[in-house]
Amino acid sequence: MATPQIILTSSDGVDVAVERTVAERSVLIKNMLEDLGDSGEAIPIPNVNEAVLRKVIEWCEHHKNDPPSTGEDEDNRRKTTDIEEWDQKFMQVDQEMLFEIILAANYLDIKALLDVGCKTVANMIKGKSPEEIRKTFNIQNDFTPEEEDQIRRENEWAEE
Amino acid sequence: MSKRRREQEHFTLPFSKRLRESAGIPIDRLSSLSNELLLHILSFLPISSLSVCQRLSRRFHALSGDSELWKRQYYTQWVRPRARRLASVRRSTLPTRTEYSPKVSTWLDHGHLAEEGKVTNWKGQYRLRHNWSRGTCRFREVELPPQPFPPVLAKLCGAFVFTADSTHGLRAWAAREPEICLAKASFSGQAGSSEMLPTALAVSHSEDSQEIVVGFENGHFHRYIMNTETSQLVLQSSDSSSSSGAITAMALSSPYLLMVSQNKILSLHTLQTGPRGPETPGGAESSRELASLKADNMVAPMTLCLRKSTLDIVATVVYSFFHIGCGWSLGIQELRFDKTGRQLESRLTSTVDSQYGIRPLQGMLPSATRRISTTTGQIGDGGATVPTTAAILHKQPPTSMSYSHPYLLTSHADNTLTMYLVVSNSDSLFVRGGQRLWGHTSSVSTVQVKNRGKAVSVSSRGNEVRVWELETAVPSLGTRRPLREESSIQINPENKRENCRTEAGDLDASSDNSREMSCGRECIGFDEERVFLLRERTIGTQLLECYDFT
Repeated sequence: MATPQIILTSSDGVDVAVERTVAERSVLIKNMLEDLGDSGEAIPIPNVNEAVLRKVIEWCEHHKNDPPSTGEDEDNRRKTTDIEEWDQKFMQVDQEMLFEIILAANYLDIKALLDVGCKTVANMIKGKSPEEIRKTFNIQNDFTPEEEDQIRRENEWAEE
Repeated sequence: MSKRRREQEHFTLPFSKRLRESAGIPIDRLSSLSNELLLHILSFLPISSLSVCQRLSRRFHALSGDSELWKRQYYTQWVRPRARRLASVRRSTLPTRTEYSPKVSTWLDHGHLAEEGKVTNWKGQYRLRHNWSRGTCRFREVELPPQPFPPVLAKLCGAFVFTADSTHGLRAWAAREPEICLAKASFSGQAGSSEMLPTALAVSHSEDSQEIVVGFENGHFHRYIMNTETSQLVLQSSDSSSSSGAITAMALSSPYLLMVSQNKILSLHTLQTGPRGPETPGGAESSRELASLKADNMVAPMTLCLRKSTLDIVATVVYSFFHIGCGWSLGIQELRFDKTGRQLESRLTSTVDSQYGIRPLQGMLPSATRRISTTTGQIGDGGATVPTTAAILHKQPPTSMSYSHPYLLTSHADNTLTMYLVVSNSDSLFVRGGQRLWGHTSSVSTVQVKNRGKAVSVSSRGNEVRVWELETAVPSLGTRRPLREESSIQINPENKRENCRTEAGDLDASSDNSREMSCGRECIGFDEERVFLLRERTIGTQLLECYDFT
């Protein structure tokens, strides 16, 4: 069954063809198509480059048959940072790509993909010491040793 | 043509990026995300990781301490489990929502955390709950000079702890800094000062002031107002009750005052809430006696409770008595008055049936009937036969009791507490189930229960203070199933060990008898943040102990 295709233009000017139903995983694109109607013209995606756009489309392809999320699992999804196996493999990318995907998912308004990305980052933080986390993400420590020590003591009760 | 050009661009682009990266410091891609996205990531982390993140950098310190994040954590950790439990218990009645809602008013019984126009520090609240659940607190004590006439009485109300004794009069201490005595009001100056021995103390909290009533051995009672802003105690009125006997117990729910005197007279008064200030002290009309009843069958210890609704005032007297079959039992008398003090109704029930394990059939909740059928199977045939032995048998009178509707708790010398649930509706008054609570390792001397089913109990010998969350015990009420261990936690002050090391030697050396003498001389007061204990350590010396959970 052939579904209608639409064209998305990446920030670096590459046209990417994608099934309309797949593209509509993005609430941004879905709303645009609804507002403008399908004129057949390419839709510019100025914030996402081709490599990231293709990656995002790959994810949407895989998840195109997912049931739409309901309000109830809004709560459940935070309970765990478990990620399904396919998504885990999908997210095995370098940090640059990982954060590009998060930014793209946020811009394109693809909630489920944003959650997968954020959970992936959360898992990179979990169980690590502050020094390990700083090293992982190159975070600059702008505390004085005294300040850091004070915060450590204040938060001791919660770190178990 | 054009397509190829684009492809060339595509290949060169990552290269330039890589160049940029290797040239300078490595890029912190995480910190370059917006606050909104970082908060989204942080929302997936447990509190242990959140507190680690607070140590990363100034920005992460602010973001990981975000009150909304902690509010969600608070809900997940402390509210949802309870909502779930309640939803399963009262499946038939109103539906209980269990998913997170930012509106605290929809959370069960947590309205006090979101007062109008006040910003809640959710991390602080989380920590407070966390500390209560672990019994973690800071300990400090204030030694009060030996009194010729103990006991001193203590109540915790708002930001103050109130004590009363014949030498120093009524004193207000700062709950945060119990070393500081904020205000003082002497009892003498009236008649002979030797007569002014305080025997009962009741406090009531209103918006900007605390109302305190002190009852004396000579049957008089004084009403004071503690002004929160000026920290001043002002005597409002001085009255005498209808009987001249000592006032042994009082309950205050402003403007109503319930008291029992040594002559076993129970009386209900309305306290005038007219113009405040020094111009009306000792006014004859400042309090009015609404009702006076003779109560003969009351044996100490007893406790009073006063609840007011829009229509009526419910005064409850709980007293202990000896029952041939099941030993010491509790009688509960509930008196209902209208606002003018006319007695509408008087109802009486006791814990005897519960102690035998019989469930009253009238007024039973529909959701509970299912469980009845299983328990009556054990007892006999439909409850017609009375079991020969009581499930809960007390050979000695309770050491103390506390009632905060619907929870009724007694403490016993046999290391246990007994909990009953009082059901009071328009049709009937009865006690639903009884449950022994284990946890203490020595005689329990005092217990106090407050709204939302939090209770604090003390074993004076073992110097053991335990906190109970009674709501978790409700489902197992009346069944003989033992209670889950985690329903109580021993208070474990972080700094007490060093503090007490020096004293510990003395304490152990002194005979156990002297320490047991302190039984019944202890007072407990607690609120959301602190527990206060007033106890006699060595003869004559009174200690005001503060356990701070913040």
